[in-house]
Amino acid sequence: MKALRFAVIATAVVLSVAFRLWRRRRRRDASASTTPTRRHAPRQFVASDVGLVMGRELRERLRSHFYLLGTIAIVLVVGAAIVIPTLTHPKSTSESIGVVGTLSTSTRSWLATSGQAFGVHVRFVEFSDVAHARTDVSSGRVDFAVVNGLELVVKTGISPGDTSTTAYIVQALAARLGTQRALAAAHLSAQQAATLAHSAPVPIVALHRAGPVKHVNATSIIGVILIFVMLQQYNTWILMGVMEEKASRVIEVLLSTVRPVRLLAGKVMGIGLAALLQASVVVAFALVVSSVVGSDLLHGTGTAQILGTLVWLVLGYSLYSWVYAAAGSMAERQDQIQSLALPLSLPLIVGYVVTLTAASSPTPSLLLKVFAYIPLTAPFAMTALVGFGGVAWWQFALSALTSIVCTLGIARLATGIYRRAILRTGRRVRLKDVRRST
Amino acid sequence: MAGLLEVRGLRRRFANLIALDDLSFSVRAGEVVGFLGPNGAGKTTTMRAIFGLTDLDAGEVRWNGASVSAGDRRRFGYMPEERGLYPGMRIGDQLVYIGRLHGMSMDDARRAAASWLERLGLADRVNDKVESLSHGNQQRVQLTAALLHEPELLILDEPLAGLDPTGIDDIGAILVERARAGCCVLFSSHQLDQVEDLCETVIIIDHGRLLETGRVDDLATGGARRLVVRVEGDRDGSWSTGLEGVTVSQVAGGEVRLILDEGVDTDDVLEAARRAGRVTEFVMQRRRLSEVFREALR
Repeated sequence: MKALRFAVIATAVVLSVAFRLWRRRRRRDASASTTPTRRHAPRQFVASDVGLVMGRELRERLRSHFYLLGTIAIVLVVGAAIVIPTLTHPKSTSESIGVVGTLSTSTRSWLATSGQAFGVHVRFVEFSDVAHARTDVSSGRVDFAVVNGLELVVKTGISPGDTSTTAYIVQALAARLGTQRALAAAHLSAQQAATLAHSAPVPIVALHRAGPVKHVNATSIIGVILIFVMLQQYNTWILMGVMEEKASRVIEVLLSTVRPVRLLAGKVMGIGLAALLQASVVVAFALVVSSVVGSDLLHGTGTAQILGTLVWLVLGYSLYSWVYAAAGSMAERQDQIQSLALPLSLPLIVGYVVTLTAASSPTPSLLLKVFAYIPLTAPFAMTALVGFGGVAWWQFALSALTSIVCTLGIARLATGIYRRAILRTGRRVRLKDVRRST
Repeated sequence: MAGLLEVRGLRRRFANLIALDDLSFSVRAGEVVGFLGPNGAGKTTTMRAIFGLTDLDAGEVRWNGASVSAGDRRRFGYMPEERGLYPGMRIGDQLVYIGRLHGMSMDDARRAAASWLERLGLADRVNDKVESLSHGNQQRVQLTAALLHEPELLILDEPLAGLDPTGIDDIGAILVERARAGCCVLFSSHQLDQVEDLCETVIIIDHGRLLETGRVDDLATGGARRLVVRVEGDRDGSWSTGLEGVTVSQVAGGEVRLILDEGVDTDDVLEAARRAGRVTEFVMQRRRLSEVFREALR
């Protein structure tokens, strides 16, 4: 986790330096293209038209009912995913054990220690007879009862898959009492009994070291699902936003004063900020709710892992947004959009499905590891790999860097398509139409 | 606000279509210039080229003696043929946004938007969405978006299309006013009578080539003589057919508009008209812009 934290910080630094270099270059270009004789040349303006476009996009999204309702819907789904499991399996902080007759001090002490291992406080309730003990077990006042050290009474039968604390303690106690009873029946001396009681398994000598068996943690799975849902949603915003500007013909007015790449960058960043804001609200809400209801879902999740998920959300959005923007510029009606949306979402779906399938296995598959370095699938695969643990900082950084470089290339290509397609109206523009010119 | 727009040798080909074919002209500050041509002549492509919205195969657009830059274009105003604003955005917000994209401060953009909307009778609609306005009012808002930042060059593609006479008068008055304030105004239109009323200069193009350019007065007084004759009881001007050196330009409502070759004696024409009936009108006139246009396209 320490390495991952370093990787996240390193990525942030790289992004920051890249942005500063880009901004410095923009300023230099702007000052070179503006002759000193021109009047009214708005100072600092070149740096702010992207900001204006970004501001408008952000403002319009935040004002929209869809944004508000969408945020509420995601928050509700995430909240339900965290709260419902805690309702069906309420997490108890104490274990009440009824005792009928005698129960040795050593067994009581063992039960208390076992309880601590599960994070529960063990409390003993003495009963004078079995009937009373059964009544209290039945009503739930005690979790189970021990009758004369010979029998355990539980409310419902314990199934093999029951992972509750009570099930673990009952099964372990039944085995222990059984052993004690057998030892007593064997009439062993105290020394013999003590020797048996302190028996230890013989060592197993392995010729080859076994690979670590890892399971991806729940936070990563949630992160992958969240990234998929959000990338689908936010990229659809980009697609629709670009298409609407084309359909309403406002685009020609905008492009008469803002260069296509800057208009598109402002749009991508504005919608991205709205997306990041929504994602942050959802994550913050999930952490708060999880802490309040004591859910295990985010138990043990480090800040670095959450930041890592957010980094891949941002990187994934940055990459796909340009692709969707270019696609949006080729359509001006809903029906035209639909024929574009499916092929665009294919890499998203493939990355998502492969990642979720791989995440259910005990170790990360080779395919998952490969996908973690392919920019189109890395947002899912790398998030899952981080969940498996053992991702070195340089692996995370390499994947992020590959994604950033690929994003820059795609942005350049997408801007060219956008510039050539956005003013073509009528039928849907095809790629061959934009090979040359507006 | 003195300015000079120069379009030099623009060439543009779309597949098999030549949209611009070595097109050159200039527009000076203080003039309202009509940009005329039939559909598909290359007017919109030229306007887009001025704003860098289309790639050029050759040629250059210059402003005040230098190639047009992104900074220059922010000080230009543009009203494209295909009108468009954000349909769901408030009018006031939209105008301020566009004004700011042109380099205005927030306060200046707000003041200018309020002032223009007040002048165009839309002050009470500032918080309405564009989609709630009538076509004419949407056109007014669109014009405001082009004027808000007091552009040095105003390019309007068919600004009068679809407007009622009041709308045409309003927008025409604004164009003349901006030109008087020192702005270069270039607009295209198919309504030649309005263009004749508003413009000092016209540029006529076809197939991407310049056919005619000059001051409206010069073009009107140039060319063959025009004679308007009205003969009582005559509706079709049939009396004028067969007169040597005389071409019928137009017959409308009993008024016959004739084009006279250089050697034609007007007394001969008057005599022919008298033989057809009582002559109630017989007057020499300037060339109309529509005639200049048609003759240029021949």
